[in-house]
Amino acid sequence: MKFPIKLLNIKTIVKRTGYYLKIWVLMSRNALLVVLSQRFMFIIFLLAKIIRYSFFISFLYFVVKGTNTIAGYDLNQVILIYLTFTFIDIASQFLYREVYRFRPLIISGDFDLVLVKPVSALFRVLMGGADIIDFVLIPPIIFAIWFIGAKMDPSFIQVILYVLLLANGLLIATGFYILVLSFGILTFEVDHTAMIFRDMASLGRLPIEVYRQPLRSFLTFLIPLGVMITLPSRVLMGIISPLSVVGSCALGIVFLYFSTKIWSFALTKYTSASS
Amino acid sequence: MYLKEKWSSKVNEMSKYSQVFKISLQDEFVYRLNFVLWRLRNVFSIFLVFFLWDSIFSVQDRVIFGYDRVKILTYIFALMFVKAIVFASKTMDVTGEIARGDLSNSLLKPLDYFKYWLTRDVASKTLNLSFALVETTLLFLILKPPFFLQNNLISILLFIVSLLIAVALYFLILFIVSSSAFWVPEMGWAIHFIITIVILEFLSGSLFPLDVLPKPIFSILSFTPFYYLIFFPIEVYLGKISGGEAVRGILISFVWVVILYLLMRSIWQKGLKVYQAYGR
Repeated sequence: MKFPIKLLNIKTIVKRTGYYLKIWVLMSRNALLVVLSQRFMFIIFLLAKIIRYSFFISFLYFVVKGTNTIAGYDLNQVILIYLTFTFIDIASQFLYREVYRFRPLIISGDFDLVLVKPVSALFRVLMGGADIIDFVLIPPIIFAIWFIGAKMDPSFIQVILYVLLLANGLLIATGFYILVLSFGILTFEVDHTAMIFRDMASLGRLPIEVYRQPLRSFLTFLIPLGVMITLPSRVLMGIISPLSVVGSCALGIVFLYFSTKIWSFALTKYTSASS
Repeated sequence: MYLKEKWSSKVNEMSKYSQVFKISLQDEFVYRLNFVLWRLRNVFSIFLVFFLWDSIFSVQDRVIFGYDRVKILTYIFALMFVKAIVFASKTMDVTGEIARGDLSNSLLKPLDYFKYWLTRDVASKTLNLSFALVETTLLFLILKPPFFLQNNLISILLFIVSLLIAVALYFLILFIVSSSAFWVPEMGWAIHFIITIVILEFLSGSLFPLDVLPKPIFSILSFTPFYYLIFFPIEVYLGKISGGEAVRGILISFVWVVILYLLMRSIWQKGLKVYQAYGR
């Protein structure tokens, strides 16, 4: 009796996934049309991001050239950690740009209109407007990771584990953005909390070993930057145990589960003010 | 009689701008959480550079790029203070005023538009500076870094002069960039993002000391106004730039103030001619 129910569930899940994918494509297409209507602005923002990443890489290059290593990591390893950070940052910006448009919805009470629609409200406010500027940057970053990563001569298993941990890092970032949205409902503050998360995450631009205790523990366990960024890079460098990989993935799943629970709690506190 | 009238009009003007100052200060406190969170972000940005250099200079008596541990960590701590003075500004909002057509309201008021924004900037700097002092003290107590205390009065005086010039330079740069909204109102923020946030952050020395860069790049940078915003005042404080070299730097930066001022006036006048008060 149990088997058909499970089959039905899988069927429903696949159907729902297809449904949400269709909505996401539709919303992303709309976001793309908005960007294309301001092509010059798109070019400037794209250029600004490229300049910012290039500047930071050149800064790392010049520093490591003068010091030989940073916290025991050589130039390629330092750049790989930075690129891993950049990938997670860009991918989460691409997927979750809509988070920055959440505050007006809450303040005006227009979030009511999201709640009554037959779509998950969390999905709508989290993924309702993909950022095409960040999307354009993803392929060059992947190429750069491949280029620098190849210099470390990783095995096939290491590459698979790196990709797995990268996905896990994205899962943790998703959890953080859900927490930011929840905080938005509770305090009407979104932009700065999102930026604070990004600022904290940006500490992951450098190897976690750079930071002194207790900040290092804070960044490893509370804001799991080590798990999000340094750990995947260490897999590619071949300096990590399989047990850490399992532990990291477990942490990612638990963290995402915990953040969705907070979101459900925050929804109960939504007052529909101003509407 | 004439002198009395002139004095009275000066006092009136002062009182006008002191009201602007008070209102601007109150305005900053309207969104208190916003302000506190913004300050918190500044602390995070310091963490990254502080720990990076702390880790690099963990080896005793190490000297890299001409810095020892004391001087590099003083540079990082001075960053908080200097950035609060130079980069705390409201002038970026001029872009929005032009784009929304709100500039018309301001032009009708009996206020000098530049002095109005300069006063708002001073209010913003006062508030940010007081917060920066508290943050610096707290971080100092937590991180306990070695600190270089400059005791040469001439260096301190040159540091203050260079800081005042940096404030003027930043104000002028912001006004010039904001003026782009006269021609491309919807692009103002994008242009600010690339110039005042991305390029200025890197080329002013607010992320790292500029002498980390190769000599040719560093030499070219020393002739740009960006060099004089953050890097130059801190180097003067540290005594790494002193005497004739410091005076030469102050002269170059002053020349930049004059050039940017003339440029700003010219762009502003041209901008006002094409201004159509969109949205009004």
